[in-house]
Amino acid sequence: MKKIRLYYEEHNKGPMKLLWQHFAPQHFAFFGLIALLVLVSLALITPVLTPHDPYLQNSQLLLLAPSWQESGLVSYPLGTDDLGRDLMSRLMLGTSYTFGLAILAVLGSLLIGLILGCLSGMSKGVKSSIFNHLLDLALTIPSLLLAIVIVAVLGPGLINTIWAIMLALLPQFVHGIRNAIMQQLKLDYVTAYRLDGANNRQLLFSVILPNIWEQLVLMGTMALSTAVLDIAALGFLGIGAQSPTPEWGSMIADSLDAIYLAPWTVALPGLLIFTTVLAINLVGDGLRVAMKKRREN
Amino acid sequence: MMLHYLLRRLFLLAFVFVALTIFAFSLNYLFPGDVLSNFTGLRYISPEQETALRRILGLDQSYLQQYIYFVRRILDGQWALSFSSQQNVLTEILLVMPATLELASYALLLSMLLGIPLGILAAVRKDKWLDKLISALALVGYSLPVFWWALLLIMLFSLTLGLLPTSGRLSLLYEIDHVTGFMLVDILLSDVSYQQAALKDAIRHLLLPAVVLATYPTTVMIRFTRDSMVEVLEQNYIKTARAKGLTRLQVLFTHGLRNALLPVTRQIGLQFSALITLAMITEVIFSWPGIGRWLIDSIYQRNFPAIQGGVLAVSCLVIVVNMLTEILHTLFNPLARRF
Repeated sequence: MKKIRLYYEEHNKGPMKLLWQHFAPQHFAFFGLIALLVLVSLALITPVLTPHDPYLQNSQLLLLAPSWQESGLVSYPLGTDDLGRDLMSRLMLGTSYTFGLAILAVLGSLLIGLILGCLSGMSKGVKSSIFNHLLDLALTIPSLLLAIVIVAVLGPGLINTIWAIMLALLPQFVHGIRNAIMQQLKLDYVTAYRLDGANNRQLLFSVILPNIWEQLVLMGTMALSTAVLDIAALGFLGIGAQSPTPEWGSMIADSLDAIYLAPWTVALPGLLIFTTVLAINLVGDGLRVAMKKRREN
Repeated sequence: MMLHYLLRRLFLLAFVFVALTIFAFSLNYLFPGDVLSNFTGLRYISPEQETALRRILGLDQSYLQQYIYFVRRILDGQWALSFSSQQNVLTEILLVMPATLELASYALLLSMLLGIPLGILAAVRKDKWLDKLISALALVGYSLPVFWWALLLIMLFSLTLGLLPTSGRLSLLYEIDHVTGFMLVDILLSDVSYQQAALKDAIRHLLLPAVVLATYPTTVMIRFTRDSMVEVLEQNYIKTARAKGLTRLQVLFTHGLRNALLPVTRQIGLQFSALITLAMITEVIFSWPGIGRWLIDSIYQRNFPAIQGGVLAVSCLVIVVNMLTEILHTLFNPLARRF
């Protein structure tokens, strides 16, 4: 039954609710969100879920075709790779490597970027200017180059490339956060708080940060797609995740020799990377559109 | 005024160069292995040589003095020797760099030729099916992992259809002298009897890598052009121009394009760093003899002087390109001139 309204009252929905209202009708973005949630849960609980041991080599079942083909087996839904390891289990575990580590990298980088961005956003003058120019320099160095340097210093490995990716993402976060803070500082309500006697610290924590966190989320999603692509690319080049690790990019590199015999061992990990990145980008775009619509209304 | 601006840019460039060389210099100490061989690139150093080298490099003096010697050697072109070939790293870089530049510039050209018109088309037909189609395609291209995309295209065009070669810049049948390092230019400059055939072959080799590499910048260009054009088309001066009786095409070309493409020129510079990253991966897949493959090989061989030199050269290139596009942008756009 519809609630009877006795008095005229204005219903002001919260900003989050408004955002959701504009986000949910975008079907593709909504599907992207569902896909992302599935991926996140997969990344968290996958070690318990895998039907077979992802590292177990079964010499009886080398390059088994996926189960929809004549020669496939139902118990190996996506077939096996050239060492007889179950592809589905490996792909599932790969979620926590490629996608899960990308999330961690973005979060870590975002945190450091937040601290540096706040420091530079609230400061003025020469110090800020020098910092800014250094950032511009760091922004232009290609991420792969940074990864190459770090790998050369620390040696190849998944964790070392995570450091590289965090470092490569950092400048854009600092830049973005700094710009967002500068933008907020110009607004009237911040001036009002300042006139009320709020000091810089109070201004930052109780006024500015609550108003820019949505922009942070947006920056995070954009960076997440870069991080996934970078982790996979470095794994593919052999300077990231090393061979037995079921990271999607390194799985493609491992299966390259069998591309004629078993094209699915190359196609499936790539398809997963593509789906993941597409889902992230769909959500990011949807979020941006929703924020724009909310501002306009 | 402009001079003042240029001077400031130049000063910034010098500052950036100093920062980069400090970074490269510190790599000598950060890389594993012997500092002396990292500095010189010599693999076997006899004891007598060692004392002499230490004096030349200034290793017995302060870090500042060592850095000054290092920069002097960089500027003189006396870079370290490559561990694997025992040649000057700079000569090697100059040999492989043109291949990368050639590939990257064709890809960039392709992305502009495709991306800008498509972006404009999408903006003009905003929220119609054409716009949705173009935007969806752009999003798909934006999300494709480049190495997988390259493999798919190789599987289709080279392995299944057998239309295009999978690796290299030119078939081994043809021999073209290395003049500029740009394959197509070199072929046109050479006066061999098989010039036509070689040109055709080089283009066939170029096609797949260029398309793969162009995918990402094209989608970025589409998205950026579309957004910027949509914003411009909503401005009041566009409405005024329409109200004055100009046709839609006239408004689009004389009022819309000029304003919408300004931010796009700037984007080209910003995307250059991503382009170089992608070019490096593409080169590895297509065995393209450029700086990317050279650098990745150096990683496998733990060839530290080469990594150091390559990183220095590529970052300098990226920064110079960035700065040039920014200066161009400022030249074209009076609004960006804040002196």
